Amino acid sequence: MSNTTENRDILLEVRNLKKYFKRSDGYLHAVDDVSFTLERGKTLGIVGESGCGKSTTGRAILRLTEPTSGEVLFEGIDVTKLNKEEMRKMRTEMQIIFQDPFASLDPRQTVSQAIEEPLRLNGIIKDKKERFARVMELMETVGLAERLVNTYPHELDGGRRQRIGIARALAMNPKFIICDEPVSALDVSIQAQILNLMKKIQRDMGLTYIFVTHDLSVINHFADEIAVMYLGRMVEKAPTEELFNNPLHPYTKALLSAIPVPSIHRKRERITLQGEVGSPINPKPQCRFAGRCPNATEACFASEPPLVEVSKDHFVACHLCK
Amino acid sequence: MEEKKITSENEEMLNIKNLVVHYETDEALVKAINGIDLVIKHGKAHGLVGETGAGKTTTALSILNLVPDPPGRIVSGEITLDGEKLIAELPLTNEEREKLEAEGKLPPCAPAKTEREFEHIRGDKVAMIFQDPMTALNPVMTVGDQIAESIRLHQGLDRAAAAERAKEMLELVGIPGIRANEYPHQFSGGMKQRVIISMALACNPRLLIADEPTTALDVTIQAQVLDLMRELRDKFDMALLMITHDLGIIAEMCDEVSVMYAGRIVEHGTLEDIFDNTSHPYTQGLFNSIPNIEDRKSDLKPIRGLMPDPANLPAGCAFCPRCDYATERCAVEKPEKIWLSDTHCVECHLYQQGDTAKKL
Repeated sequence: MSNTTENRDILLEVRNLKKYFKRSDGYLHAVDDVSFTLERGKTLGIVGESGCGKSTTGRAILRLTEPTSGEVLFEGIDVTKLNKEEMRKMRTEMQIIFQDPFASLDPRQTVSQAIEEPLRLNGIIKDKKERFARVMELMETVGLAERLVNTYPHELDGGRRQRIGIARALAMNPKFIICDEPVSALDVSIQAQILNLMKKIQRDMGLTYIFVTHDLSVINHFADEIAVMYLGRMVEKAPTEELFNNPLHPYTKALLSAIPVPSIHRKRERITLQGEVGSPINPKPQCRFAGRCPNATEACFASEPPLVEVSKDHFVACHLCK
Repeated sequence: MEEKKITSENEEMLNIKNLVVHYETDEALVKAINGIDLVIKHGKAHGLVGETGAGKTTTALSILNLVPDPPGRIVSGEITLDGEKLIAELPLTNEEREKLEAEGKLPPCAPAKTEREFEHIRGDKVAMIFQDPMTALNPVMTVGDQIAESIRLHQGLDRAAAAERAKEMLELVGIPGIRANEYPHQFSGGMKQRVIISMALACNPRLLIADEPTTALDVTIQAQVLDLMRELRDKFDMALLMITHDLGIIAEMCDEVSVMYAGRIVEHGTLEDIFDNTSHPYTQGLFNSIPNIEDRKSDLKPIRGLMPDPANLPAGCAFCPRCDYATERCAVEKPEKIWLSDTHCVECHLYQQGDTAKKL
């Protein structure tokens, strides 16, 4: 990949990231040898279905779960080698927004306490009054009305709770945020409000996002580049437009064709995949999609295809796309 | 498979008239459904769209008389299934009726069947698929026994014959019959939903109610399940009430659509009416909120504000506080149902009787 990354302002580079979980019946390969780079100010969407390792990838980058091996270079510094105290400092630059705004907030904290907490714990603003002023500023940024300052999460709807999650992530003035399915639990009309807010914040603050989701129509709207994961592997990565117009990996094609389109005029050819996702435990050295792939050949069962660049910025891991 | 004859002369499978359902708690009176009409013809697929709290699931539960009581109560309305009354208005003398009307009250209603009769209808003539396949199955019973249970109950087959039928049903939904002896935890999410579908179809229902049947599933698995449902619907020629928040699924599966908001059906029509001649501002808002996969440059235009609290609905149109077209009249007066064509109706003050659809 290195030849294409010159002259770009790279914020994050992930090299051969692996995360295996030990199980009684072997190792579960949640993330298996994932590498990519991310430019400052851009959004990388990571898509895939349940269990493909997209959330684990995000967590391993922040070391919320320790990677088994691999490097995560953030502005040139390998965060996997930092000690506890250095990592703590580093985390002020790298934040995360979680999927479930119902579970990720402490029910006994008011809105202002929840937003204040990261500022207090990291000793960013020591003065109580100043800290409160910052909380109010953050609430305004994310569109939470001032009157909600002393309310508790149970009094608020999902959209507002997710706004608290966003305010908490923004509190440290981070450079980089991992958004882990931030709108999946919300109704469509509220979902659109939150997506617009996140886009605005990104523009205003020059943030870099990794956007983890299973929803391709959301990611299409949000990301500059998209990486598709399947059973722990990155199977395709391309600029958003390229991926939607010219998907190469058979799994990406099936995934795109499976989205129900809210229109009665475009009837698209659907590729319905047979069978189900295989087991991520001790996977065989073959293409992990081969068992469901409509085009699989002998070669696909013989070895695992590497991720290669087939055209500019378009990477595919498939024996059939050369 | 024994064919159930269509028992009524008319072509309506389901007719809901002026249904009102409230949840009465100590703190509040929650008006979940505020007078809806809904007709599904034999063999047709009807979509019910709306957001959390719009009253979609309560509508479904009302049909089966499964609204949890207390706190839920079907206050008024009539539900007719294939010509038979399930929920009927209580007979009133003209005097009583006038008195109620003068007080602005609705005629009360009651179940027209006994609980035992409802038990015969549920799972036999009407079946329901619930949203979450993980919780709808009994974890300590094999899936075969769970499917056979309703076959034995409704069709009076003996244990062995019912078990045989259960295997056939599993194979119908693409699961090897041999897996009938396995327990739910041995199946993946998509497989569990297939088990539930096979259970729902085991007695060849005339109406299938599917409440967000694929929301908990991954998109490629969702595609498999939707394909299966469509195929089985054609095969058994059953009517379908599809409850979803996903307009994409509606476009794929349904013949007609009703859009629900705060316990009312605010717009109803054929697919063409709703998708091409979107007439209600809320329906338009829903479309604008969905990221358009064909046009990624377009901005999302969310509906501002939130769904009103069903315990404290606005006096006029429930959508008024969020509506870009709202006038003073909308705040005080509830809009009536206006037919824009033979198939398309809307509840909105933007229209008057005699108007035709205008794309907003």
